[in-house]
Formats: sequence, C-alpha cells, structure tokens
Amino acid sequence: MALSVKIPGPLRSYTGGAATVLAAGATLADLLDDLNRQYPGIRFRFIDEQQRIRPHMRIFVNHDEARRLDLRLRDQDQVHVLCALSGG
Amino acid sequence: MPLSADEQSRYSRHLLLEQIGTAGQEKLRAARVLIVGAGGLGSPAALYLAAAGVGTLGILDFDHVELSNLQRQVLFDSSQIGELKTDVGRARLLALNPLIEVTSHAVELTAANASELIGPYDLVLDGSDRLATRYLVNDSCVIFGKMLVTAAIHRFEGQAMSYAPGRSPCYRCLFPTAPEDLIPNCAEAGVLGVLPGVLGTIQATEAVKLLLGIGEPLLGRLLTYDALEMRWQEFSFARRSDCAVCGDRPSITRPGEDAPSAAPVTAVQLRELLRQAAAAGEPGPLLIDVREPREFVAGHLDNARNIPLGELAQRLPELATEQSVVFICRSGRRSAAAGTMALRAGFQHAASLEGGLLSWAETIDPRLTVAPA
Repeated sequence: MALSVKIPGPLRSYTGGAATVLAAGATLADLLDDLNRQYPGIRFRFIDEQQRIRPHMRIFVNHDEARRLDLRLRDQDQVHVLCALSGG
Repeated sequence: MPLSADEQSRYSRHLLLEQIGTAGQEKLRAARVLIVGAGGLGSPAALYLAAAGVGTLGILDFDHVELSNLQRQVLFDSSQIGELKTDVGRARLLALNPLIEVTSHAVELTAANASELIGPYDLVLDGSDRLATRYLVNDSCVIFGKMLVTAAIHRFEGQAMSYAPGRSPCYRCLFPTAPEDLIPNCAEAGVLGVLPGVLGTIQATEAVKLLLGIGEPLLGRLLTYDALEMRWQEFSFARRSDCAVCGDRPSITRPGEDAPSAAPVTAVQLRELLRQAAAAGEPGPLLIDVREPREFVAGHLDNARNIPLGELAQRLPELATEQSVVFICRSGRRSAAAGTMALRAGFQHAASLEGGLLSWAETIDPRLTVAPA
C-alpha cells in the first residue's frame, strides 16, 4: 500500500525536488523507514536519536497531528510533513 | 468620538457590512497593531490595515530599502533605495490614509526591548524573516497577553496562523523549538514575489477579524498555501500542556528566556586564553570545531577537535559539562548554535569564537586555510 507523503519545501533536496512522494508502511514508523530507503538521510531530519518527532517538524495524517510513530496507517491516508518556515 | 464625515465616506464600504458597520469601524480606529518586519509580508499587510482604518500602526524594521526588495515589498518604490524602511513606509501609509497614526520603530526586536515595544499594542502581525524573531514575538505575545497573526514563506509555499490569549494554542505548541540547523530565509532560498502578497493579505484579514471579534480566525489551525500546486490546506493542532510558554508550567516567563547564548570570544581573546593556559601548564579550554570534516581537514586550530554541528547533540555526552568549551566554525554562526545547544544540555561554560576562523585568519594567523562552507 503506497501512501502519498507531502515533503516540506526546505527538505525537498532529499527527494530531487519532488513535493509529493509515495511510500509504504503499516505504521508511521514503517512509512518513514520506507521513505528513508528511497531517500537516504531524510528520516533523520524528521526523527531524532531518541526516536521522537523533531520539535520543529510536525507530521499530519489526514490533517490531524500524529504524535506517535506507532500510529497505524490505512489505505488512502495522506501524510503531510510540515516544518517551521522562516521567510518574511 | 463618532466617525467624521471624512471617515464615513472613506470607510463607506465597510459601513455597509453588518459585521463591521459604524461600531466596528470605531473599533478599528481605536486599535493598535504592531507590524514586525516591513518586508514581503509586512508590506501588503501594512497597506491594507492602513487603508482599513486601523487607528495606530507601528512598523518595526531596522533595514534600508534594497533594489532586490522591490520584487515583492510593495510598500516601497524605486526612488527609495537606501532609505530607512520605517521612514519611507510610514510616509507611504500616511499618504494612503492621513487619518491614522503610524509609528516608526527602526530597531531590532530583542528580548530586552520586547516589553517596551510590544506593550502599547493590541495585536502583533509577524512578518519577520528570522526564526529567532518569530519565537521571540510568539513568546512575548503569550507573556504580555497580545493577539498575534503570524505567517512565513519559503520559495513557493507559505503558512499562517493566529493566536489569541487564552483562546488558542500558540506557535510554540505547533513547533516547540526552532531547528538547530538553520532554515534558509528568502535571501538564501529565493521566493516567488507575489507569494508574500497572498500571505500578507491573509494576515491583514486575520488582524481585522481578531480586532473586531468576527468570523472564525485561524486559532488552532495552520493554513498552508502552495502556489505551484495552487492548493490551500488546513491542519488542526491543539494546545500542549507542556508548552514552554503557554503550557501549564511554563519555563519561559520572560521574553528570550528560551535561548541561552554562548559567550562570544574574539580571536585575540582566545589566543590570550590559550597562551595563559600554556604558560601556566594548564590544559586550557576545550576547542570544538563544529564544521564539516571536509572543512576541518583543510585547516584548523591546533588541538581543536572536530564534531560537526549535525552530530553535536548526539556526541555532547562525550564531553564533561563542567569543562570550559569554545566552539569554533567558519564565520561564528554554527558555533553560536553549538553554544546554545551545549548550554541547554547543561554545560556551564560555553563560548563561541566571534567571527569564526575567518576572523582568526584575519587577525591572528593569515596562513590558516579556511575552507568555504
């Protein structure tokens, strides 16, 4: 099951500029692992050494904030990763 | 004081709206809004709030108008290159609406002056281009009980949200801390010129609604905009009980309390410290070079140890917190971030080489090779 994942602008250097990519996983953790297989290094930008979502990144599943990596994903779920932007 | 004939005529299209009317227009006239940053976001926001009749506008910015600003900063024109933004911006707003008052604040917002600058206003509109300022503005608004409308942009994307004291989560509930690695601003990443026009007018809309108490402001909702896909999205977020500023037991009770900064040490001071330690037969401060290995190999200070900034959080436990540490990088930016990280982790003495190795090469040792970042 491949779900669409929206990548925040500042991290699109990892995805070759792609704004939306596909990744598979039964849980959010699995999904991020799959994303990291396709785009090496990107997981570490989302998740810290203690396996927590970094405080300046937010992950939303179907527009609701996901605070746990063991969150189960379903077919058709849409994942959005957001980060703080600084430009004005 | 009732609206004058002039005001009735100027704001007649507002007066026709039942959600505004005479009472609403009088509220706007009595309102005081501080615009932080007269840039891409602040420009359209200031123009529309002035046009709408917000009685007192403050513009806070210490920059001068540059040619590259004019691609998006519509408050200024080509004849004003080099002029102070707050001065020419104020003149433009008063030309648009002479019935309002506009105050210039040609200073940088800091932890020390936040209370004095933000205190007199009802609402802050944040259009700054630095994350540190965004957190300072958010924290100040929570601490001083001010409404806040914040927006930020990057290339083709923007985001916006509002905060009302006691009624909504704050910016820190969404993004608890700023990233340690620096997110590029418009000067570094580029930005579609019309993008801040879209987000800045959203901010002005939110400000008017919050001041009037009408409609559904972006409280607990982050609105995002993608200009390339031409798509708006909305994300709900809740107040965090552990939020450092608006949570149940806040650790930030004064502006600027969250970001301890490492003591700056100049190249000359550092050379003296190292000399004195050597003369006394002491080990001296630990020198941690936080550049990338590639830069480190090209040239570094004697006895410096290389821990790239990206690995520092992980490797700080290798160092003793009571040890005196001087962080070093190319220009002083990464070392300052490293110092903040170390102080947060409990280090008692963290310093950062001011101006970095570029300054060391200039003042102490011209033979030192400083690799490009």
